[in-house]
Amino acid sequence: MEKIKEEIRQIAREALTGKKVDIILAWEKGPLWYDSYPAFFTKEEEVDSLTWDSFCINNLSKYLLEETMADKKVGVFVKGCDALAFNQMMQDNRIRRDNVVVYGLPCPGMIDPDKVRAKRLNRGLTEVKQSGDELIFVTKDGEITVPAHEVYYDKCLYCHYPNPVVYDQLIGEKVAAETALDRSERFSQVEALEALSAEERFAYWDSQFSKCMRCFACRNVCPACSCERCTFDDDDLDILGKAREDSEDQFFHLIRAYHVVGRCIDCGECSRVCPQDIPLEKLNRKLIKDINALYGEYQAGLDPSTKAPLVTYQLEDADSFTAGEKGGKGT
Amino acid sequence: MKKIAKDQLALLWEKIDQNYQLFLPIAKEKAVNFSTWKEGAEVDLDALRTVNSPKNIIFPQTETYLTFKKEGKKLGLEVVSRDEEYVVFGVRPCDVASFKLLDNVFLGEPVDKFYEENRQKGLIISQACLNPEETCFCNAFAINPESAPVGADVATWDLGDLLLWEAQSEKGKAFTEALSDLLEDVSEDDRKKLDEVKAGIKDKLEDLPLVHVAPEKIEGGLKEIFASEVWDELYQRCLGCGMCTYVCPTCHCYDLKDYNGNGCGERFRCWDSCMFSDFTMMAHGNPRTTQKERVRQRFMHKLVYYPNNYESYACVGCGRCTERCPVRLDIVKVIKKLGGERNEL
Amino acid sequence: MSCSCHADPLVPVVAVVDNIRRDTADIKTFQVKKPEGGLPFIFKPGQCAMLSVPPLGEAIFSITSSPTQQEFLEFSIKNVGKVTDCLHQIEVGTEIGIRGPYGNNFPVEALRGKDLLFIGGGIGLAPLRSVINYALDNRSDYGKIDIVYGARSPEDFVHRNDLYQNWVEQADTDVHITVDREFEGWNGHVGFVPQYIEELNFSSDKTVLVCGPPIMIKFVLEVLEKLGFDQKQIYTTLELKMKCGIGKCGRCNIGDKYVCKDGPVFRCDELGKLPDEY
Repeated sequence: MEKIKEEIRQIAREALTGKKVDIILAWEKGPLWYDSYPAFFTKEEEVDSLTWDSFCINNLSKYLLEETMADKKVGVFVKGCDALAFNQMMQDNRIRRDNVVVYGLPCPGMIDPDKVRAKRLNRGLTEVKQSGDELIFVTKDGEITVPAHEVYYDKCLYCHYPNPVVYDQLIGEKVAAETALDRSERFSQVEALEALSAEERFAYWDSQFSKCMRCFACRNVCPACSCERCTFDDDDLDILGKAREDSEDQFFHLIRAYHVVGRCIDCGECSRVCPQDIPLEKLNRKLIKDINALYGEYQAGLDPSTKAPLVTYQLEDADSFTAGEKGGKGT
Repeated sequence: MKKIAKDQLALLWEKIDQNYQLFLPIAKEKAVNFSTWKEGAEVDLDALRTVNSPKNIIFPQTETYLTFKKEGKKLGLEVVSRDEEYVVFGVRPCDVASFKLLDNVFLGEPVDKFYEENRQKGLIISQACLNPEETCFCNAFAINPESAPVGADVATWDLGDLLLWEAQSEKGKAFTEALSDLLEDVSEDDRKKLDEVKAGIKDKLEDLPLVHVAPEKIEGGLKEIFASEVWDELYQRCLGCGMCTYVCPTCHCYDLKDYNGNGCGERFRCWDSCMFSDFTMMAHGNPRTTQKERVRQRFMHKLVYYPNNYESYACVGCGRCTERCPVRLDIVKVIKKLGGERNEL
Repeated sequence: MSCSCHADPLVPVVAVVDNIRRDTADIKTFQVKKPEGGLPFIFKPGQCAMLSVPPLGEAIFSITSSPTQQEFLEFSIKNVGKVTDCLHQIEVGTEIGIRGPYGNNFPVEALRGKDLLFIGGGIGLAPLRSVINYALDNRSDYGKIDIVYGARSPEDFVHRNDLYQNWVEQADTDVHITVDREFEGWNGHVGFVPQYIEELNFSSDKTVLVCGPPIMIKFVLEVLEKLGFDQKQIYTTLELKMKCGIGKCGRCNIGDKYVCKDGPVFRCDELGKLPDEY
């Protein structure tokens, strides 16, 4: 990644000096080991602080919304999941493709700081280096080598698209698309919930949602939540009350899940940012699983030219109004 | 000074619970928050930092304070009174310090009676931090994590198998007296061990990566800092969610809203966030039109406006925003960007 | 459980709307008093009050009547949002909630003996009217009074009776009104308020009280500077979104000052020390 970082910096410098773009969207490093965050570069000299490491988890496509960028020309670095997000936002007509130069970054996986903390590898940690399938944790007391899959985000272990599906320029070599865990496994937790009785399932989600603080981080980080004005923010509509009230919290999450259905790329950012660890990805995966079952395998963001299953109608589509057919109540 | 063996704590919870609503750091579905204790609750005294700060107890995220009833042209209003007396156990020194910052606002004239009542009905038991984390920077605000913080009625230290207990206020002493059958006097050895532990914490503090944060190094007057170019860059990555404000123990902005129940209903107070676009939205416009103004407001409030009004920063270095912000736009970065860093300790 | 002894500043008391007058297509003036009669509270000119119309909530309004009016409080309210729309629907005799008074006031004591120049635009006359009536009710305490008022059209004038009759009839008091552009049947002055101030060329020893749309205030201040007025002679009253009215909910601040508590009345030199975010 160190080598790629230098390459990224070079590309960024050239794009800025050659006036190919007005802004470069990449990552920068803060004072703590896991602290890589989105950064906006407009001058060549700023690029020295640009970083690319195993903590560049943030999806920069989210910053490409038309109104955010106005008429600026933007160069953006995207990982595999970010590229799916990019395509989905394209499909939702929220990005002006002509204004964006996409630099694709094959992604080896990103480290989950919580897993590092759970292994107590964070004490005195200064740096993490990647070496093949292993990660080297450089601490004040020496180096510790750990198999990468032990500390990568779960979502990275299931990731089927580590190589960007859209780019103008690809940086470095593509990585193997084999997932560390069986991809169908990502639905196993959904199946476990499906196996519960309705009462048990309600109790489960009731308990989860009761932690919600309504900070809206899940919504604001979500690449499918790209509405110009979110319906929950419209005070006059009064769809969502401001009180922290169990029923309101539940409505918020369910309405949001249904609003992103068929557009959720399963990047898991909602779960990652949730301060209360609500497993929101299970909600989204349940809907993905149902779409797969009803309309055939579909991956949002894979190909912006295809129509999403819920915005097209075909005669052979599942029909919930006919007894015995799949879909709706009968299943 | 008193002590209790940690395997006796369940008895202590039970006893306190008989007369008070007892709040403890309790794990629920992987998240540790201050919640009401019930038998079998998963109490986690090792968690350094609850997700939600205990601000939620003295200034609840949502609280109804008025009910109303409409009949024709008539309007009936009734004040809703507070709950029973309560005890919060395990409040970290930074969070104890945050209570004083909230007091400055709510107990200043005109006194917020609801808040005052909430405060009077509560008894605060602090717990010293044995293992400050890399995201901690309470030292920047002269808070000692190993200490018995001012504002705690009882201070405690976890010495492994023992919990040391020191009553600080009159209220704390009476409370300790009532628990005398569960608490015993400490020995000279215990005191010695405590001193060692405290010294150890100080060493750990100096090793922390954020130890150089120093807001007092920020130079310039209100208008200069307001006009600083750093805001043009800092805000860009902000997603406009309200997480920083909600997990923050010192953020105290609120909204007042009505809940309609067909002719009768409730008026409640709930947390609000200056990060939200509608926070200052009026019928005729918004003085803070972009996220830049909102981000600037939040940090100007903490680092300039609040200190101008109350002679203290509105931050206790708890590290919640440092740990949680989805895009790592935390107050440490802002302070540093504004020049609030020292080279030497 | 209820408790009537609770004097929390957030708790409203019940008041009754005693009279409603339509000023313009979207502005009505409400007279409010205690159900048993009289003022719900004592106040000073320039202060505000929070009106409640459950279940739509509360909104803050400046009190447009003078404290010398002991029978009722008056509020001139433009229909712009949920609460104001609800207020516009209610009938005489309806009970509402009220709490206050909030904020500081125009320094009516310090203004004694001075010549006063009031400059208002649109609904911005509402807070000024409280001081104007106070000064006129204590006429001998104050010097010459000039009132400059402008609105978009003749139909948009508020407090017509005062503008055309009550105020003009007073000794040593001049009312200068203007509309933004020509209207059929309008023989008065045409032009924006700042221009009109310049034309009237007031002597710079007057004390100025100004309220109106932010853009009007901005240009008025420029003109006053040109005419030689010192910023210390100019007072304005501001409005930002408010919820609590007591400087705690955190949204009406300009820099380290809260409009609801440290304002709404600001002397312009004081305002100049604050960041431009209002």
